[in-house]
Amino acid sequence: MPNATLKLESVGKRFGPITAVDGIDLTIDRGEFFTLLGPSGSGKTTLLRIIAGLEPPDTGRVLIAGRDVTDLPPYGRDIGMVFQNFLLFPHKTVAENIVFPLRMQRVGRAKRDERLAWIIKLMHLDRLEGRYPNELSGGQQQRVALARGLIAEPELLLLDEPLANLDRELRSEMEVEIRRYQKELQIPFIYVTHNQEEALTMSDRIAVMRNGRFEQVGAKVEIYTNPGSAFVASFVGHANRLEGKLVEANGALGRMEWHGRSILVSCPEGAVAGAALQLSIKYEDLEIAPAGANGVGLQGRNQLPGKLRDIIFKGQTANYIVTLADGVEIIASATPRALSLRPEEAVVVHWPAGGGACFAG
Amino acid sequence: MSAGTLQITPRRTKLYRLFAFRFALLAGPGALFIAIALLLPLLSIVVFSFWRTESYELYADWNLDNYRVMLTEPAYRVFFLRSFFMALSVTLACLVISWPVAYFIAKHGGRYRLLLVLLLAAPFFTGVILRIAALQGLFGPIGLINMTLTEVGLPPIQMLMYTPLAAGIGLVYLYAPFMITAIYLSVINFNFELLEVAKINGAKPWRAFIEITWPLNWIGTAIGLVVVFIPCLASVVTQRFLGGTQSSSFGMSLAQQFGETGTWALGSAMGVALFVFSIAAIILIGRSINLKRSGFTGVINP
Repeated sequence: MPNATLKLESVGKRFGPITAVDGIDLTIDRGEFFTLLGPSGSGKTTLLRIIAGLEPPDTGRVLIAGRDVTDLPPYGRDIGMVFQNFLLFPHKTVAENIVFPLRMQRVGRAKRDERLAWIIKLMHLDRLEGRYPNELSGGQQQRVALARGLIAEPELLLLDEPLANLDRELRSEMEVEIRRYQKELQIPFIYVTHNQEEALTMSDRIAVMRNGRFEQVGAKVEIYTNPGSAFVASFVGHANRLEGKLVEANGALGRMEWHGRSILVSCPEGAVAGAALQLSIKYEDLEIAPAGANGVGLQGRNQLPGKLRDIIFKGQTANYIVTLADGVEIIASATPRALSLRPEEAVVVHWPAGGGACFAG
Repeated sequence: MSAGTLQITPRRTKLYRLFAFRFALLAGPGALFIAIALLLPLLSIVVFSFWRTESYELYADWNLDNYRVMLTEPAYRVFFLRSFFMALSVTLACLVISWPVAYFIAKHGGRYRLLLVLLLAAPFFTGVILRIAALQGLFGPIGLINMTLTEVGLPPIQMLMYTPLAAGIGLVYLYAPFMITAIYLSVINFNFELLEVAKINGAKPWRAFIEITWPLNWIGTAIGLVVVFIPCLASVVTQRFLGGTQSSSFGMSLAQQFGETGTWALGSAMGVALFVFSIAAIILIGRSINLKRSGFTGVINP
């Protein structure tokens, strides 16, 4: 099996009565940025620790570069890892921290210095070599941790929520940087996060985890636009959730009854009339128009009349919170300049028939 | 005063006086006690060491005779070297014993951690003399070990009967709890995750210990070395009860000057020598601590 850097075969782990990781199969290719995305307690960190060799799996096998490492301790696996709380060695300088993996591999001094100079340039750590970790800012510490993880060019770099302790601005800067390193070095990254924006920004592929299982694995655009389950739909992106009942299944399209209104949805497979449905529509998939302007362009679309309660300005977009006739609220996002709506105005929220993701609920 | 210069006069406000009063109230008693109970006796010993004793009386005629006697009389040198090597070997033995114990309690003690540490204090429920006497009952010619050996027809272990080894074991037994506590207090604040990082980065367990665990716990270890080495250097009782004639220590000889022989001035000089040497040892160990290299945070504020 060429190119596969990491292969997991039905890997499982239990902690007492809790199944943390439940029979995971996964193949990660060379040069791939792969993200494990899930809420806390979904097993993503445990899975990462199993790959690292910090936690032995109860079942299954772990293969790195075609070699079975299931029973190997972490120091035999040729991996790098970056942690949420940086975990630099506090008694070693930046340079000593970074070359640590090379020293452990008994790489000669000249070669070490060469690699150090290379990674310091790559990560813009110049002039920090002699500092101690407590003399660095959070962002600098995390870059040093990344440099330490990458200097030996491991088969695999594991990243456990590395940006969670950084402030927002720095985080988005680092997101871009980390992706750049990954693309430049072509080392596969496995990135654990609960932050969907991070996952979407950086990854090639995402696995959404829940209760120790993969809810969906796929390219990030696929995960975003075509969620495979109600959980994925609610976890990735911002979506309204409408729970109703299928009244009439008619081929691909079905009529869902929701708060006395009928909505045209794309039927989930095998759903029959009377089945409970969950419709998930992303904020940006909803459009909003003044109530009077009906007619043009709204034919054949799902329409929900209501009253604009508030506009939450976010900069590039704004969230329009609309109260429907029976008090239910629904959110649509749009470019704020495109619309000149005022709160309390009567509006119509509309979207294409069959739009959104619909699941059997 | 030129124009534009802002003159700042510290104001002795009521609040300022309150703080000063509170500080004096809190720090005063301790400072006073140290001055009276520690510094004064020390000072008087230094003074006595330059005096002269004759038939159990101190005379204030200043001279260096006591130091000359102490440095030239071979017996004192032997006593001192004995004490020094005894303290050194006891300290090293304590180090070897204490590290695994402290590490184990800190890492695997779980909810019994506090209990286990408190158990280290169990020997202190009785006095030193009693504990040493108990060891005598264990090691002596008719002690538990040798009596059992004799009973089953084996020769007794000569090395345990009133030898420097027996005294050494006694000292290790007395002082190991101090070193364990010092190392434990250090290890309990050690971030074990750093070991995971080291292993992921290719360090085998022993290498991770040398690279990470040992240097990051060196302050605690150094404190342990000091709290064992210094009192062992001056130890009297253990050698007297367990050591036999080959173990007569500097401390024993020192005590004699203040007792049987009544040569207070010479005893004072020996005390000063012991004190100076102990301070030197502390400085030496202290110099091995590089705060930046210790992982001790809060020293530098960039």
